[in-house]
Amino acid sequence: MSIVKEFTKGLWKEIPPFRLVLGLCPTLAVTKTASDGMGMGAAVIFVLVLSNVIISLVRKIIPKKVRIACFIVIAASLVVSVELLMQAYAYPLYQSLGIFVPLIVVNCIILGRAEAFAAKNPVLMSAADGLGMGIGFTLSLTFLGALREIFGYGKLFGSAVFGPAFKPFTFMVEAPGAFVCLGLILAAMNYLAIWQSKRAGLPEPAIAASCGGCRACAIGESKQIVEG
Amino acid sequence: MRELINMIVVLSLISGASGLSLAYLKDMTAKPIEDQVLFYVQGPALKAVFPDAENDPLADRKKFDTADGAVTVFPVKKGGKLTAVALEAFGPGYGGDIGVIVGIDVAKNTLAGIGVTTLKETPGLGMRVTEAKYQKQFKGLALDKVGLSGKGGTVDAVSGATISSTGTVTAANKAIEIYKSLKPKLEGAF
Repeated sequence: MSIVKEFTKGLWKEIPPFRLVLGLCPTLAVTKTASDGMGMGAAVIFVLVLSNVIISLVRKIIPKKVRIACFIVIAASLVVSVELLMQAYAYPLYQSLGIFVPLIVVNCIILGRAEAFAAKNPVLMSAADGLGMGIGFTLSLTFLGALREIFGYGKLFGSAVFGPAFKPFTFMVEAPGAFVCLGLILAAMNYLAIWQSKRAGLPEPAIAASCGGCRACAIGESKQIVEG
Repeated sequence: MRELINMIVVLSLISGASGLSLAYLKDMTAKPIEDQVLFYVQGPALKAVFPDAENDPLADRKKFDTADGAVTVFPVKKGGKLTAVALEAFGPGYGGDIGVIVGIDVAKNTLAGIGVTTLKETPGLGMRVTEAKYQKQFKGLALDKVGLSGKGGTVDAVSGATISSTGTVTAANKAIEIYKSLKPKLEGAF
């Protein structure tokens, strides 16, 4: 278990919204533009790294029975701090993210990383894990936001990418557009993973019937079999 | 028993530390947040009501004490003389309070116009109180004649959005009340 490995796993192998399929509420709701996605991601990086570090620091004194309550108190305080700082120094971003900033508290990634990683690992490892996961989350949100902004508004980070003749495909910036985009990205990730494991001579990941034919979990398993 | 005490102590300590640090942060960011709200929320509304102000109403603002707490008054000057003042008041809307910047012409004792600062109304219905067509009806009204046309006034409510329209009128009348009570103090202040 190296620190580099903990950091990089969040960037591709366990990239939160696309591989773990966690934290979908902000992923779908605030990716109308690339810069909104990036701002949300930055807020999540801040909360995730600090909550991982703090929880890792106090992991030995937290009694098992009240650990979830402790994690939530820590995460909630950090989120309120982010909200205050954002209002004080980045008000337009606060206006466009709206209710989704306070909702970071209930983002599965925060509690998920706290319970699955920070509560069992030393501080530096937890910081690397939080940073990697946070950056992976930010990249995903920025990518999804960029896709929707390009086709929905004909812009990228606010500047036009097509000529004036482009007619925006407004469906993409509406709520259904987010679901369709996310579905296409997940499908592409699955396809890529299947192609990769075929090329490496691994068994094709099995289809999980209960998950609508998604193979994301099986990809991890078949790799573990070979690595182990 | 030991475990129980341990649980209570740890959770209280963590909550206490969180509360303390948040209180400190809240105190620290109060000033920048106020500035940002002025710049991004009240600034544009003021600009819309007084496009030809020669001073910066935001920079020249002053606080006055009233019976209901402190009120911020934005002065508008032309040729070095105070021509109008603006203040913000709130009226109940369909989705929470509607904040309205009300401009009052000091010499003529009429409304100079209104601009909406904060609202969470229904898109397409209540949100239409932000449209110029609705807001320009307030311009030039005498201070005691602000009301919806259904209730003896002259302002036509946005159709389908009586609550939101009433909210803006209530806010305007509240601002007028505050203005009347502050009037003696205002003249020398700017």
